[in-house]
Amino acid sequence: MKLRIAVTLIYAFLLAPIVIVVLAAFNGGSYLTFPPQGLSLRWFDSFFHSRPFTRSFLFSVELATVATVLATLIGSGAALYVARSRSRLLNLVQVLMIAPLPVPGILTGIALLLFFYATGFATKGWPPMIIGHALICLPYVFLVVSAVLVGLDPSLEEAARNLGAGPFTAFRRVTLPIVKGGIISGAIFAFITSFDEFNISLLLSGVGTVPLPIQLFDFLRFSFDPTAAVVGTISIAMALVVVLATERLVGLESLYWGAR
Amino acid sequence: MGGTEVRVRLWLAVPALAVVTIFFVIPYLNLALISFYEPSHRAAYIREFTLANYRGTVLDRFTWQVVWHTVWIGAVTTAVTLVLGYPLSYKLSRASSRMKGLLMMLVISPLLVGVLIRTYGWMIILADTGLVNQLVQALHGPELPLMYNDLGVLIGLVHVYVPFMVLSLAGSLQAVDPDLERASRSLGAGAWRTFWRVTWPLSLPGVVSGVVLVFVLAESSYVIPSLLGGFTVLTVPILVIRTITELFNWPAGSAFALLFFAIILGLVWAFLEVMRRPLQRLQ
Repeated sequence: MKLRIAVTLIYAFLLAPIVIVVLAAFNGGSYLTFPPQGLSLRWFDSFFHSRPFTRSFLFSVELATVATVLATLIGSGAALYVARSRSRLLNLVQVLMIAPLPVPGILTGIALLLFFYATGFATKGWPPMIIGHALICLPYVFLVVSAVLVGLDPSLEEAARNLGAGPFTAFRRVTLPIVKGGIISGAIFAFITSFDEFNISLLLSGVGTVPLPIQLFDFLRFSFDPTAAVVGTISIAMALVVVLATERLVGLESLYWGAR
Repeated sequence: MGGTEVRVRLWLAVPALAVVTIFFVIPYLNLALISFYEPSHRAAYIREFTLANYRGTVLDRFTWQVVWHTVWIGAVTTAVTLVLGYPLSYKLSRASSRMKGLLMMLVISPLLVGVLIRTYGWMIILADTGLVNQLVQALHGPELPLMYNDLGVLIGLVHVYVPFMVLSLAGSLQAVDPDLERASRSLGAGAWRTFWRVTWPLSLPGVVSGVVLVFVLAESSYVIPSLLGGFTVLTVPILVIRTITELFNWPAGSAFALLFFAIILGLVWAFLEVMRRPLQRLQ
């Protein structure tokens, strides 16, 4: 019984700041008080009239879309290779694909900044940002698609081949429909990862290419204005859609405990 | 399967491998190289080999203060995260499969809300005019300094890393057979004794991976200490970013970053060495 109360309190701790941000966005006052000062959309109005915020919101969506498409295409390809190959290099490929995940993002950001400088191309702006974000998204796509492929029976594709289908047809008609859910949820994870990514952007964003988290960071250093809460509420709404979509497509549990 | 098909499959992995090699492996090697170059006021660096960046970092007392403080913050964060994450994972692993989906969603959803937004939520709660202080003042209490200090940073870090701890622990606890606990209880062991002698030792692999994961992540966090710590809390990532983006001393910044990363890996290695015997006893 005592354990149950403790666990409920910990869940409350986990969700508290998220609930608070949503409350602050719809609150009338310039900071959150109890009791709240009535329902209001004035902060949404101030968000949509703020050029820096709307611009970086649109930029973040564009950036996340491009990075997601890139990471999903190449990440799924690598996952397919790893699932099927019995090559001796397999371990190396796996380590390389996951490597960007455990190293500190801030260190990767610094390494990329210095690398782009050394190549002599632009150090900041669109191309570095796309590359940095795609790199950060890649491990997620690889892991999620691999998790789905583990449960895939290779004899299905072999059967298709034995019945006369070419390798491409067998893949398109047999394998692809089965792993589609994994690829979609990998893409969703990649999009959210890019949309929230901070460390890479801190070092590589330039004039006109400021994504939403960086804009928010600069804003929050000097202000508590609830316009920030609106940004948060929009992100939370997006995350909610993602969780529900993933749950319907593949089931959240299977992401962690593997396909069972 | 024919040889051509194997080669076709290798092409599937080539684009990803190229991206990781060119934009991850090579930049890290380049970073290591630059940490040995001479800093300069007129260029980003001069291509002359020197050990001065490392020597300067190692001999600076201030550097070691910041390193120690960062390690301390990470260690406290990890310990608190473990204490909060364990009961959560335990309940999760014992829940019915319907409940499990729902509880998992509650744990994962904070992960999908950006770190910045969660930190902003804490700012609203912990600020001098924030919710907690409003409540305390309504009760005629003193103004509590909850933010722009270590406490605020710790609250923010613990909150962000509890889900990672739960994800690490849940798999291990899931594998602990509830019948073992029941057997221990029916043989006369109390709840605590059962926990320390049966459940805890069996969950050690999850504990070890969770501790390592959270510690490494907390050590490299930049956003949370800089927003919840204000200008008073100084950690290694903040100092490194300042050296690189404000002082433009890339060689010194690279050397410091790599040195700190090595210290963290050293601590992780020491921890794994200590845990090797308890883990071996499991087999």
